[in-house]
Amino acid sequence: MSGVKLDSIVKAYGAVQVVHGVDLEVQEKEFVVLVGPSGCGKSTTLRMIAGLEEISDGTLTIDGRVMNRVAPKDRDVAMVFQNYALYPHLNVAENMAFGLRIRKESKEHIESSVKEVSGILGLDKYLERRPADLSGGQRQRVAMGRAIVRRPKVFLFDEPLSNLDAKLRTQMRAEIKRLHNRLGVTSIYVTHDQVEAMTLADRIVVMNAGRIEQIGTPMELFLNPVNSFVAGFLGAPPMNQVKAVIADGDTSPVAKFGTQQIALPSLPGLQNAVGREVIVGVRPEYAEVVTEAAPGSVSCELELVETLGSEALLHMNLDGEPFVIRTETLGNMAKLNSVNGFTAKPELIKVFDANTGMALSGQTRVA
Amino acid sequence: MTNMNLYSRGDKLFVIINMVLIALFTLSTLYPFIYIASLSMSTGFEARAGNVILTPVGFTLEAYKQVLSEPLFWSSYANTFIYTIGGTLMSLVFIIPGAYALSRPQLFGRRFWNLMVAFTMWFNAGLIPFFLNMRDLGLLDSYFGIIIGFAVNGFNIILLRNFFEGIPQSFEEAARMDGANEFQVLWKVFVPLSKPAIATVALFCIVSRWNGFFWAMVLLQDEDKIPLQVYLRKVIAELSDDEEFATSLLTAAYSFETVSAAIIVCSIIPILLIYPFLQKYFSKGILLGGVKE
Amino acid sequence: MSDLEAKVGGSTEELVIEASEALRTRKASRIERIGDHLRNEWQLYVMLIPTVVWLLVFLYKPMYGLQIAFKDYSIFRGVAASPWVGLEHFQTLFGNDQFLRALKNTVIISFYGLIFGFPMPILLALMFNEILAQTFKKTAQTIVYLPHFVSSVIIAGIVITAFSPSAGIVNTVMGWFGIDPIYFLTKPEWFRPIFVGTGIWQEAGFQSIVYLAAIAGVSPTLYESAVVDGASRWQMMWKITLPSIMPTIIIMLIIRIGNMLEVSFEMIILLYQPATYSTADVVNTFIYRQGIQGGQYDLAAAAGLFNAVVAFVLVMTANTISKRYSRTSLW
Repeated sequence: MSGVKLDSIVKAYGAVQVVHGVDLEVQEKEFVVLVGPSGCGKSTTLRMIAGLEEISDGTLTIDGRVMNRVAPKDRDVAMVFQNYALYPHLNVAENMAFGLRIRKESKEHIESSVKEVSGILGLDKYLERRPADLSGGQRQRVAMGRAIVRRPKVFLFDEPLSNLDAKLRTQMRAEIKRLHNRLGVTSIYVTHDQVEAMTLADRIVVMNAGRIEQIGTPMELFLNPVNSFVAGFLGAPPMNQVKAVIADGDTSPVAKFGTQQIALPSLPGLQNAVGREVIVGVRPEYAEVVTEAAPGSVSCELELVETLGSEALLHMNLDGEPFVIRTETLGNMAKLNSVNGFTAKPELIKVFDANTGMALSGQTRVA
Repeated sequence: MTNMNLYSRGDKLFVIINMVLIALFTLSTLYPFIYIASLSMSTGFEARAGNVILTPVGFTLEAYKQVLSEPLFWSSYANTFIYTIGGTLMSLVFIIPGAYALSRPQLFGRRFWNLMVAFTMWFNAGLIPFFLNMRDLGLLDSYFGIIIGFAVNGFNIILLRNFFEGIPQSFEEAARMDGANEFQVLWKVFVPLSKPAIATVALFCIVSRWNGFFWAMVLLQDEDKIPLQVYLRKVIAELSDDEEFATSLLTAAYSFETVSAAIIVCSIIPILLIYPFLQKYFSKGILLGGVKE
Repeated sequence: MSDLEAKVGGSTEELVIEASEALRTRKASRIERIGDHLRNEWQLYVMLIPTVVWLLVFLYKPMYGLQIAFKDYSIFRGVAASPWVGLEHFQTLFGNDQFLRALKNTVIISFYGLIFGFPMPILLALMFNEILAQTFKKTAQTIVYLPHFVSSVIIAGIVITAFSPSAGIVNTVMGWFGIDPIYFLTKPEWFRPIFVGTGIWQEAGFQSIVYLAAIAGVSPTLYESAVVDGASRWQMMWKITLPSIMPTIIIMLIIRIGNMLEVSFEMIILLYQPATYSTADVVNTFIYRQGIQGGQYDLAAAAGLFNAVVAFVLVMTANTISKRYSRTSLW
């Protein structure tokens, strides 16, 4: 199986550790996305897999073989670079053939491979062109083509879409996904863009400050973040996080903040937790607007309405803290300006420990 | 701001005066070359009499006949070609791989090696130790000595190293992942990407080789090996020192002045031929090599 | 170690193999890492070796040879075996009128070069920048850069011809005004003006490139807003362009001062003669005559060492100042 296994991988520059022991198992044919803020160690981790950075400690296995001290060219991996690194003095066909020529493959094999891959990527018409004469999207495709022709065991992507404009990025994103479905090659993809991570990944690895925060499918991470960092990182706009204290409610525990409170789900983590300082997380999508105070609703002040078309973002002021609500515009437009509060279903509310940031509430599932 | 009609009267005057001054400076640069060219095509008599001002007087190619009939002129011309071509190729053979190695962050002791190159730009042992060293190496009076002895210079290495450093790291990484070794990365990726910088270095080498005079004069005793510049210097020095000989030429069709002017013209022509290429690259070269962030 | 302890059943040899296997897949030792590096990157060192060897043989070995400045050098004994004489050569030098004269001439000629030669390229760049007709500008630039690429022998040949007493254009023109011919190149008082003037003629155009590049970096919006404010071209040249390129000017000035001792002695050798030694002889021409022509290698090497040390101090100081001033180093 052409899986990739990272066992307590560490990267240190002298005394400074930037990756602190990463454990990750990527299954064969899986598409795994490493995501996190800049400087979180995701690119360094990818480059260690590629062999471009030395592994300071830990074990890297590709296809069951320890690769720590194997040269990049012998790891049978291919990488798509952020700036594509297309050779400007070679045309598209020569760029794609470069790796095969270096490896002294036969002419016929090179020709047929380039032809096949350029067919897959729709580059047939551009084979004679130089990179300078291509559009951003075409260059991106050539960069992928160069990786694909080698038929490697693993594809590595280092923020491959970040040089494209928003529209092309969406288009190429879908194309990468389709390509993966077609070729089924194990892929590891690094990005700082959580939308890319959500849309592309079989599994997402959220990294922060050189550590893995959480690994899971996109929906697992979206619905059940293990801590407030993951909760804040995935989703746009991010989850609202409000400081509160647990108190006893009528039927279930409640979270008190200022003079208000909100009902929480009855979960084991919240038993006997009265007085505990927590962070209450409410996704903008899961808050329902009210125009009149009702039992169980939280009142807040409307500051700004941003209409996006089918949806609107309401920027509220909740006891001096910002709170964003995302709501449908259809049939709602008239009352948007008089919104003065929200309600939220207890089972959709997340609770995190205020000190450790770890999730206290249990699993949320959507049907 | 290129529309003259928008200018005030004062500005127009300023622009015109400025243009006149530049024109004068340009003509003063050009004039000596025209003067020499005209001198070389005038009769010796008119040249001696100081009658040549701008155009040839008593047009004749006698001076060129004299120059071209001298075997030493031809052998020195050929030698200059040997030194220029051989020396430039030798320089590139050393400088391109050296600069590439020095530009790689993974090179062990990189700071030390770079300092070793830079130090030769700040401090050099001087004429005498260099000369004695060449003698001890048995490189006096030798083609090979001239070609190898000046093959490397710190400025050119640093110029090219800076250019290599400016090439994104990902080009090397992509090539390495494609299976290329360092030689292949250099030859198949960096050299093609650095054509302008390499051309600049090559042109610098060509010019300094073509014009090289002092060390050729010092290191070469054998007349058969001297380059054009040393030959030219010999002719000018001999003719001007030998006033008697110079005067004896007074009535002839050529004179010391016209003969040396003719050699000057012959030696400038190759530089003029490559001048368009020089102009294309040298301004980039100066800025590339000099100041580094 | 816990892995090891768990394997108590196995033989010692197996244990050792297991241990080294474990180490290999975990943290590579320093020696292993150097080994890996050399295995993957040895070609880099192959590329570096020719240059390093060349530097050692042709530039660093002469530095070793500089010790003859403190020795009574004999060709037959060689550098190492010649007896030490301490500072004798330096004492000789500083009691030698010719050397002191050469030192004085070096400083004076450099100083003239600085005063008259330094502003010229700046002025040229400012003036080129004011020319609107692009074809005219390109042509003029092409011509004024040319002398830089012409050899010093040719330049000297032109100077000798042009200043020749009988046939030279300079004396011809002077004759029109009734001035008697002067044999310029034999007159000590004329040597420095001719030498410095030739240097400016040859290099000013080429040196203006650096300033033109700096001017090209000045934001056009500065000029646009000045035009809106009603500034004239003359005012813009002095109030915008010149201040904008001031950092470049200062760096170039520092470099220039750092290279004070680098008088182009090749040109002096071509132009001077015994009659003009009193104003023309500089340290390097002195070294050339004493050492290479006169065979007094040790004395000449001492003069060279003195020159090199002063130059080194000047250059390092210039570099330090420039670094502090601009946060860019010259190398």
